[in-house]
Amino acid sequence: MTTLPPVSARRRTTDRAMRGVLLALTLAALVPLVLIVYYLVKEGIGAWSSDFFTTDPTGRFLGDPGGIKSAIFGTIYMVTLASVIAIPLGIGVALYLVEYGKNGRFANTVRYFVDVMTGVPSIVFGLFVYIVLVVAKVGGTFAAWKGAVALALLMLPVVTRASEVVLNLVPDSLREGALALGAPRWRVVLRIVLPTALPGLVTGSLLAVARAAGETAPLLFTAAFVLGTQFSPSERMNSLPLQIFNDVGQAQDRLVERAWGAALTLVLLILLLTLLARLVQRRSRLT
Amino acid sequence: MTPDDPTSPTTERRPTTELIPTPHADATSAGPAPAQNQAAGHGMTLRDVHAFYGETHAVKGVNLDYAANQVTAMIGPSGCGKSTLVRCINRMHEEIPGARATGAVKLDDLDLYAPSVDVVAVRRAIGMVFQKPNPFPTMSIADNVAAGLRLAGVRGVNLKERVEQSLRGAGLWDEVKDRLGAAGISLSGGQQQRLCIARTIAVEPEVILMDEPCSALDPIATLRIEDLIHELKQRYTIVIVTHNMQQAARVADTTAFMLHGEMVEHGATEKIFSNPDDSRTEEYVTGKFG
Amino acid sequence: MATGQGRAHFQDELRRLEEAALGGIDIVLEQLDRVLEALQHVDVELAQIVIHDDDRVDGRYLEVHQGVLSLLALQAPVAGDLRLVAALLHIIKHVERMGDQCVNIAKLIPLSGYEPPVRPEIMQRITRMGAAARSEVVQARRAFADRDVELAEDLARQDREINVLNREVFRLAIEAGDDPDTREWAMHMTMVARALERVGDNAVDIGEQCVFVVSGLFREFQNGGTRPTAVS
Repeated sequence: MTTLPPVSARRRTTDRAMRGVLLALTLAALVPLVLIVYYLVKEGIGAWSSDFFTTDPTGRFLGDPGGIKSAIFGTIYMVTLASVIAIPLGIGVALYLVEYGKNGRFANTVRYFVDVMTGVPSIVFGLFVYIVLVVAKVGGTFAAWKGAVALALLMLPVVTRASEVVLNLVPDSLREGALALGAPRWRVVLRIVLPTALPGLVTGSLLAVARAAGETAPLLFTAAFVLGTQFSPSERMNSLPLQIFNDVGQAQDRLVERAWGAALTLVLLILLLTLLARLVQRRSRLT
Repeated sequence: MTPDDPTSPTTERRPTTELIPTPHADATSAGPAPAQNQAAGHGMTLRDVHAFYGETHAVKGVNLDYAANQVTAMIGPSGCGKSTLVRCINRMHEEIPGARATGAVKLDDLDLYAPSVDVVAVRRAIGMVFQKPNPFPTMSIADNVAAGLRLAGVRGVNLKERVEQSLRGAGLWDEVKDRLGAAGISLSGGQQQRLCIARTIAVEPEVILMDEPCSALDPIATLRIEDLIHELKQRYTIVIVTHNMQQAARVADTTAFMLHGEMVEHGATEKIFSNPDDSRTEEYVTGKFG
Repeated sequence: MATGQGRAHFQDELRRLEEAALGGIDIVLEQLDRVLEALQHVDVELAQIVIHDDDRVDGRYLEVHQGVLSLLALQAPVAGDLRLVAALLHIIKHVERMGDQCVNIAKLIPLSGYEPPVRPEIMQRITRMGAAARSEVVQARRAFADRDVELAEDLARQDREINVLNREVFRLAIEAGDDPDTREWAMHMTMVARALERVGDNAVDIGEQCVFVVSGLFREFQNGGTRPTAVS
């Protein structure tokens, strides 16, 4: 009869110790996250009311401070505009890198620069747009569209990287099969590669959108701050991060509370986008 | 044979110049498209074909003929260049960065490597079935079969009819006729491969290349596809790359043996497997290679 | 890449099968020697042993036959291996036939009487035929074992001699004389001669198989040499 050596007691303890340490680290990492959520909800839920969402901030320190309608609208408006710029551009660059450039010197250089851009601090994007568009007075000074441009610059490398990863996951056998049927390469990309990668591309884009929605620095010197809701892209526009930024430093409690309420709204908005990205990813056949 | 003589009683096959338009083709030469049954097929001729991956010389001066409506098997040990050679036939080899091929590959009398020839048209005339079945994952069964026509931008074809015709030709119609809308990837491995074959024949090529089509399949699915090949050769010229010598023996009329990028011997399958001329061929088919 | 090493198990099996078939020829040689001696000395007991030992030849036939089927089913031999397997099947059949001819001769011995009225000229030729047949069998075995095509083709020449002797025995038997005993003995001798001639033919057939294995061509060795009749 064959016998196998029994598990040594020492190995069991090591196993358990390892599990314990990793568990402890995980819990430690969770603590600030849980605290953030807790404080957000605790401090911010009080500010929520129907007025909160339907009235603009009044700018008054005493009396009715108003809601954050313009901020919500501004964030949605500018992020949408930024997405319209950044997402097609980003996917386009990724398509070039994966389908045409491949490992060529130019493509590798582009990849390197995109990598660098993902690490650039968001305030640098804001500063860049400030100098190039605002100070130079291209179509006025502060404007919503300039804020959107700054956000787009921020989103571009994120969309490109994520899309490149997803496009690389499309098996080469599909491209080969389509080419062997006698399809020109552009049709292969359009009819086979893109549809197969679509869920992954959408996920990547949504995550980039979520990131842009929460950025403050790029908007500080580009779209700047204004109280009222207005629809013109060439005028200043409010946004949630800026609203929070302004309110948090005030002496009045109600304004600070409004800041918490706005923060909670922003986090919820980002949470919704992330959930949507998750749902779309489940339908993907690649990941 | 003259490509532009619709009254010739013996001509039932489509002229090569109609398949692969070249600037020299007479504009009035395309007569009415002949009916489905093409009694005479198209043969191919390879002369002094070399293929390179960058500096690596993978195929060294191959001369070979593929007779019309026959099955030719390409055998040889791994790395002998048989897959590379076959990919030079439908010009897929050049899709690999740094790869190139020289020599003459002729479909009937037309040199496919002539500068005026459109690569895309070549691939429509010469279909390919791959080792691992690769149905398009986002498409249904019917859409997969029609994919070739759609990708090629072919108009004026009744897609539904063509899809049914092709699925019948691939021996898959009875199994999927009630679920044409189901995802292509929901089929079993053998069915997926037959789906890929249907997709290939839907564009009505003249030659079908098969690169180890049964390696990823179980023995029963393999035998079904071999039976299919026997039927298909009535309408197409078929080249099959295979590792499995018994398969080559069962399926092919002609067998070609390659070694280190060179064509060592080619001839009737029966001869290659009963009394080959070259001792290297004898060693390979009897399994005495190491 | 090393050549010749592949399928070691199969090559072993093939070698053993060939040895079994050639061993069959050795058994037949033993039988032939015994029966020729029995014929010389009218040894009825030795003749009985030969008849009995034919079981060994038949047994060897079945063994090789089974071995061939097994190799075909399990190893799917092709090219040279396939020709060898097919040739072994033919050879063992010829071996079995030769064994039967020896038995035929052995059965004729008691019938030729205890004091046969021997006609020396007939007996002489029979003896020479026996030696020639034996030598053909030995040569056929060596030709196949060594894959020696020239040696195999030479068998046709040797066989011509046996055929000549056979016709002479027949002619002499007709002129055997008036004595009925003598005439009966002479008839039996023609049958012995015929059996020996058949042994020679079978040996030539084994030579043809040798040529087939080496060249892949099947040529019948006609009595005038190696004229190709059928090509495969």
